[in-house]
Amino acid sequence: MKKLVIPGEMLSDKPLRLDHTVVENGKTCSTVIGLYDESASSLIPVEGLWYPRPGEKVIGIVEEAKLNTDLINLNAPYKGLIISKFTEGNIVNNDIIEATVKELDKTGTIILIRPRVLYGGKLLAVKPSKVPRILGKGETMIKMIGEGTKSSISVGTNGLIWLKGGDYDLATNVIMRIQEESHVPGLTERIAKMVGVSTQQNRE
Amino acid sequence: MNISTITEQYIRDRIAKGIRDGGRGLLSFRDIAVEVGKIPNAEGSAEVNMGHTKVLAGIKLGVGEPMRDKPEEGTIMTGAELLPLAHHSYDAGPPTAESIELARVIDRGIRASNAVDLKKLFIEDGKAWNLFIDIYVLNYDGNLFDAGTLAAVIALQNTKMPRYEDKEVIRENLQKLEIQNIPTSCTFAKVADTILLDTDGSEEDFSQARLTIANDENAVRAMQKGLMGSFTVREVESLVEATFDKSKELRQIISKSRVD
Amino acid sequence: MDKPELIIDGKRLDGRMPDQLRPIKITSNPIRNAAGSAYIEWGNNKILAAIYGPREALPKHTGNLNRAVVKCRYTMAPFSSIEEHGRPGMNRRAIEISKVTKEVFENVILLDLFPGNEISIFVEVLQSDGGTRAAGITCAAVALAASGIPMRDMPYAVSAGKVGETIILDMNKIEDNYSDADMPVAINPRTKEVTLLQMDGALSRSQVTTALTMIEKAGETITKIQREALLRPYEKVSSKYEASI
Repeated sequence: MKKLVIPGEMLSDKPLRLDHTVVENGKTCSTVIGLYDESASSLIPVEGLWYPRPGEKVIGIVEEAKLNTDLINLNAPYKGLIISKFTEGNIVNNDIIEATVKELDKTGTIILIRPRVLYGGKLLAVKPSKVPRILGKGETMIKMIGEGTKSSISVGTNGLIWLKGGDYDLATNVIMRIQEESHVPGLTERIAKMVGVSTQQNRE
Repeated sequence: MNISTITEQYIRDRIAKGIRDGGRGLLSFRDIAVEVGKIPNAEGSAEVNMGHTKVLAGIKLGVGEPMRDKPEEGTIMTGAELLPLAHHSYDAGPPTAESIELARVIDRGIRASNAVDLKKLFIEDGKAWNLFIDIYVLNYDGNLFDAGTLAAVIALQNTKMPRYEDKEVIRENLQKLEIQNIPTSCTFAKVADTILLDTDGSEEDFSQARLTIANDENAVRAMQKGLMGSFTVREVESLVEATFDKSKELRQIISKSRVD
Repeated sequence: MDKPELIIDGKRLDGRMPDQLRPIKITSNPIRNAAGSAYIEWGNNKILAAIYGPREALPKHTGNLNRAVVKCRYTMAPFSSIEEHGRPGMNRRAIEISKVTKEVFENVILLDLFPGNEISIFVEVLQSDGGTRAAGITCAAVALAASGIPMRDMPYAVSAGKVGETIILDMNKIEDNYSDADMPVAINPRTKEVTLLQMDGALSRSQVTTALTMIEKAGETITKIQREALLRPYEKVSSKYEASI
């Protein structure tokens, strides 16, 4: 049985090791609005912040390009930092970049590697908790959106999405809809219909 | 979102094709929704949603002194607050140059069009009504000038006038404040060398020059050019023409939102 | 002005029983730009709360390298009162309310997760009719939860007061003006911890107990309303995208 819970709601009268919870007096409580699945012992936030993990792809904007390091705005509680010797070519302020998380250091700075500048296009900000649904299993959802809208799309786990070319308005609408309706069954069919792609074809 | 979301290249490409978000034309307003009388404690109030821009205007009336140079008139005071809850870049500090400009431009349109007859706000020797217009920006997504003027005028049009009897202000069983003229404003901005009406927040990030024109049915009543770019004389003339055309839509919204 | 009769035949001026709340309605996320927001109509009070952050604490010296700092700003719109036009911005009362509100949320937010960051809570009273600090806290709790900022509990707040010798819950403006005591309280409902407590007037020891009992009981209703406001958006498909197909 899955159920929606709010911050402070008790999930178990035993201590559980579960993300997005606190254990107080031996009892486990949610700290977020989320979907709690007791049998699978999982709590998935429906509203949540981004907690970076090594290897994740992020999108950001160059805030302060300097000689040795570049400071990246990730629209998150953490700053990104690129050590310039890892970069090829020139990065300048306000460039949109795609990069990979190497690590989160003690001061709340994320060391980024493999940066790539994304030229032109626009960014969309979505809730980081919705990124897995926007990507879909095996990235099938985002591929379908790219195909249906003829847009090049790059999705950062920090909740920034870069779009270029094709039908921007449709791509934006589709992504915003996934963000709002990710919890409602039949999402893939609704999105496929919206972008004019047959889901049958995807299943084969 | 604490960063700008579009690139100059994106907006140039889009505008070159004549495309704007939501599929509107270069000289179109976004959808406008109005809620009249949201704040019953105020003598008048209106919330205007212009796209995602959300502005609340509240009107209060109090008894005070007339201005020394106009002893037989009431006064209008217009304030604007860029509330820190409306945008990540708005600070919780003293009024900024931007909020003061916004208040003064809205004030000029209303004042210059004689929307309210200040002589009728006179009470007796040394006493007159002070009419306070407060523009509260609740969510910023561009074009605060037109949304603010619209909210203020709709609020004024539905304002209940208190009475002053035996040295007391009575706020019961009130008559409407008389509005003798309806001003509106149209704000144009040059983005990617193209003139747009009613820019949204991301378009404003790339605005080169801005021109606000307030008018009524007969005359231009106030203008304000902003930002470091410029308009040619011909452009100014054509925008005055465009204002008389586009302001009809706004006047229709105002007339529909009149509650009798 | 003479003191009006506030309780007649056991009922209050607006028809409520002594232990009855005013009607409360909460909507989540009305402010698009904010990380989370909420709008509350609590009787005739109308209040917006919005959250920005966690974001880099600025100016830098206001930050803390070990945890996030909470900043709070409670203000009243100049047109919010039925009486005279007010001054916009902060006065001494607003500064105090901002401080005690901040402390309520410092207690429940998991601040350790965001070193060097600030979490800003803005509470804007658009219309006031007594009890705005309590309504503001109740509203800000919803805004915080809607923003996804982790909290170990969802605070609510309400005040109790005294008219003559009767303890009454959730006073409106006119009751507040002529009451003999006022006691706003914020509570973490799960643990029953009191995180805001102010009082002035005169209450006997047993009246304090009566008031707290009333507040705790009202908390069950308020928590339920907060919960419904937060979960409502997840309960059905929105229709606005259907048109674009």
